[in-house]
Amino acid sequence: MIEVRKPTMSLGRTASDPDRSPKAVATKGSVVALDARLEQATLYERQRALRALLKCPLLSADDSHTTEFGLVRRYAAWLRDWFARNLDWKLQVDGETARLRKTPADLADGTRPARDSKSAAPFTRRRYVILCLALAVLERSDRQTTLGRLAEEIVAATRADSALAAAAVTLDLANFDQRRDLVQVMRLLLEFRVLVRVHGDEQQYLHEKGDVLYSVNRPALAGMLNVKRGPSTITAGPLDECIFAMVEEPVPNTDDARNRRLRAQLMRRLLDDPILYYHALDDSERAYLTSQRGRLLREIEQATGLIAEVRREGIAMVDNRGDLSDVALPEEGTDGHLALLLAEYLADHVRQDGGMPVGSAALYRHVADLIAQHRSHGRKAVADAGAEVTLTDHTIDRLAALRLVQRTSDGVIPLPAIARYTLRDADDPASESEDTTQDFLGEEA
Amino acid sequence: MSDSTTTNGRLKAFAYLNAEKACLYRAVMRVFTDAKARFALHLRPQEIVEALVATDEAVSLDEASRLDPENIEAALNQLCEWGNLASHADTTDVATVEEFYRPRHLFQITRSGEAAEQALAVYRRALRESGELQAAALSDIRALLGELVQSAALGEPDEAKVHRTLSLLRTRFGELTSKAQTFIGSLQRTIDLHEKDVQAFLSYKETLIEYLERFIGELVLATADIAETLQKLDTSRMDNLLRIAAHRDLTDAVAPTDEDHAAAIATWHTRWDGLRRWFINAPDRPSQAEILRARARSAIPALLSAVAGINERRINRSDRSADLRTLARWFAATDSDTEAHRLWRAAFGLTPARHLRIDQRTLDERDANPVSAQESWLTSPPLCITPRLRKSGRYTRRGRPNHVIDCTEEKARLAQAAAAEAAQTEAARRRLATGRRMQLSEIGELDPAAFDLFLDLLGEALTARGHRNKQIETTSSDGAICIELTPTGNGRCAIIKTSIGYFRGPDHFVVIQDRFAPGGDDSRSSAPSAAEGGDAGTALSCEVGS
Repeated sequence: MIEVRKPTMSLGRTASDPDRSPKAVATKGSVVALDARLEQATLYERQRALRALLKCPLLSADDSHTTEFGLVRRYAAWLRDWFARNLDWKLQVDGETARLRKTPADLADGTRPARDSKSAAPFTRRRYVILCLALAVLERSDRQTTLGRLAEEIVAATRADSALAAAAVTLDLANFDQRRDLVQVMRLLLEFRVLVRVHGDEQQYLHEKGDVLYSVNRPALAGMLNVKRGPSTITAGPLDECIFAMVEEPVPNTDDARNRRLRAQLMRRLLDDPILYYHALDDSERAYLTSQRGRLLREIEQATGLIAEVRREGIAMVDNRGDLSDVALPEEGTDGHLALLLAEYLADHVRQDGGMPVGSAALYRHVADLIAQHRSHGRKAVADAGAEVTLTDHTIDRLAALRLVQRTSDGVIPLPAIARYTLRDADDPASESEDTTQDFLGEEA
Repeated sequence: MSDSTTTNGRLKAFAYLNAEKACLYRAVMRVFTDAKARFALHLRPQEIVEALVATDEAVSLDEASRLDPENIEAALNQLCEWGNLASHADTTDVATVEEFYRPRHLFQITRSGEAAEQALAVYRRALRESGELQAAALSDIRALLGELVQSAALGEPDEAKVHRTLSLLRTRFGELTSKAQTFIGSLQRTIDLHEKDVQAFLSYKETLIEYLERFIGELVLATADIAETLQKLDTSRMDNLLRIAAHRDLTDAVAPTDEDHAAAIATWHTRWDGLRRWFINAPDRPSQAEILRARARSAIPALLSAVAGINERRINRSDRSADLRTLARWFAATDSDTEAHRLWRAAFGLTPARHLRIDQRTLDERDANPVSAQESWLTSPPLCITPRLRKSGRYTRRGRPNHVIDCTEEKARLAQAAAAEAAQTEAARRRLATGRRMQLSEIGELDPAAFDLFLDLLGEALTARGHRNKQIETTSSDGAICIELTPTGNGRCAIIKTSIGYFRGPDHFVVIQDRFAPGGDDSRSSAPSAAEGGDAGTALSCEVGS
């Protein structure tokens, strides 16, 4: 009779067998295999929850991220601990929302704007001002409010504030564009679940035909602002100082605390930014990274599923699942295609000429060539005359956002990491003939 | 209302409250009311002025209402015109000629004036008074109704007692309703306006909930009881009692007419109906007690939501609003949109992460040939990018999707093959499973399908058989065919010819029958088994040879 370790895993042979150990090993092996599978499933789910939080730091229960929110709630304790230990970021999970308070490590990055959900257009300065004023007004409002009432109060707030009047920021509700700004701010607030629409439609308000009733979600409202020091306690000065004062966390003067801060800063950069270049680090950070690199990267790889690409110039955590980044390369679509082709061109440059700048004129010419070549695959607007200038600018913005190039006054300097996108010999168009007979997806997307 | 007391529907008696010199008029009227309390009916202007000066009224009067005789005279005349005061000629003796020619009047407060002042007093008192939910009143009402029942039972009830009971009932009941109304009204206002500060409100909430629960409990019990008692007092007896009460009301009237009597009876009926409606449900509308109960009950959740609102407000730090305003100013002061995006990211922390992509093929390649950490990006192998992505910007081919492959022909062929096989097995079974007892040597020749079946059955039987010479009866593995095998023991050898060779073995008697064929079970032939002693057991063997 076989000694059964776990009831579900017994092999159930009734014939007696003198040599017991192979069967016992087989039983144990199955047990171990099951445990490993469970653990792997847990690991995968935790990775998924973490990635969801990195992509959308404010998750809520009833929108497109319901499953991810469920996972975040399930692993809330582990996630909270992980973020606090490694990155010094606070995670707040309650019944309806999960908020990861992401303090950025790189304060000079201006490539991640708030975006309008419908048109993906970045916010302008005036929209940001309206957003802050709307939040300030909502703090003092009751549980329900309408768009009309909010608009009036924002207008009153702009008038009452001398600094805003001096900067000529006003909200004129008779102007269609300004009303559209207001409506887009409201849409952003709806997306973050600060407001919940009860009745009405913003389009109607835009055309001055109706009003919208909202109810205010106070915990989400309280969770929007994420600063260590309130801006009202900081004296005004140049923007850099203001930003730094807002997010600065004082560090106790012990070695241990300093090391922890170094580690947190490095991990924040690795997790949030696409590429960490060594030349951007200072000496203490570099020393820490050199000694702790293996451990740091292993921790990140295991927790998020990102893979470390370590080179002489820096480290890039790359993503093979495609659900983590707002902008990525390679990507599908006209913009992604153009970015890929331009990256190829610049990669060739950098491999031959090193870090020499490439002038704008050369870029525009090349993009015009590319458009002529690939016109059939892109959007209609691509073929307009003069489109290459805007397209080039847009694409260079995209590449700069991914830290692959650096903008200068007259062109770009390609950075080393762009050499990843060089055209391989094996991938040249001659090998395309095999492609026309195959119909399945080329790569795991 | 008679016409002399109204102009355009406005009551003249109250006009002095909103007139220009309202302070003076009100002061004068108060003097008169105070005098009335002292039972002094008539006042001279001089006395009025003295009284005004004596009290502190002069302090609160403004310039327009200065206390000189003309002003006072004018005010008194106006009040007479409005009907609050009445003037009579003053017939007392005077000392001088001027005084004789000056018009002298005595003033007296009229009934409407008095009523107006009393109304004012009630108004002021009502504003100050706080409401109550009187559970005690309910028990009083119950007791009084009990007495009424007793009186109604008598043939000749005591008039005074009936009247007293009904009057008391009326007053108690009136108090209950008005106080309950005040209470519920003030409760609503308290909840709405957060008149108390937070701590007091929270402790008040506890006492209030207790209070409401106590009252609601009492109300429920009392209502049931009272409703029952009211049912006992049916209409005919009540008519009698009410008539008695009305009659007694008018005993002290000066000259009661029949109309007065009828009016009094009608009044009492109305009051009684009101009482009934308060406690008894009608089919189309709930009783007032129900409504009061519902309102008291709904006050509790309203209260709790007000507390929740207070708690919500606690989540805010009051300076967050100032923070956001400062932030708005900073946004307005930024130089460009890029700077604004920096501020957005730093202040709100709601931006997504960003990473480069990689695909599985490149990863596999890197696993096979790892790249060292010291190697530069410029010299390490680049990403694998599919040609299609590079050419068209998409992973999938654009255009029509592929056709679905049509497999009907193949399916038909497979179906045919399966049918043929099934037919073969059926034929084999019919050939073998006859149910007749036969010797193996009699079988002769078997086609391949039948031979397969035969071998299966033989195999089943032989494995199940323990001892060589025993008779064995067993079924095939699917239980459809039953085989009985008995060695003949005569040493003969059975040979069966098949397409692949000859099958040899000791002869046996065999009965094969199909359990599910109709009439299968009872077709055993009864040839005697020729089992003799001898142990001629050579094993069954199959030689395949041609």
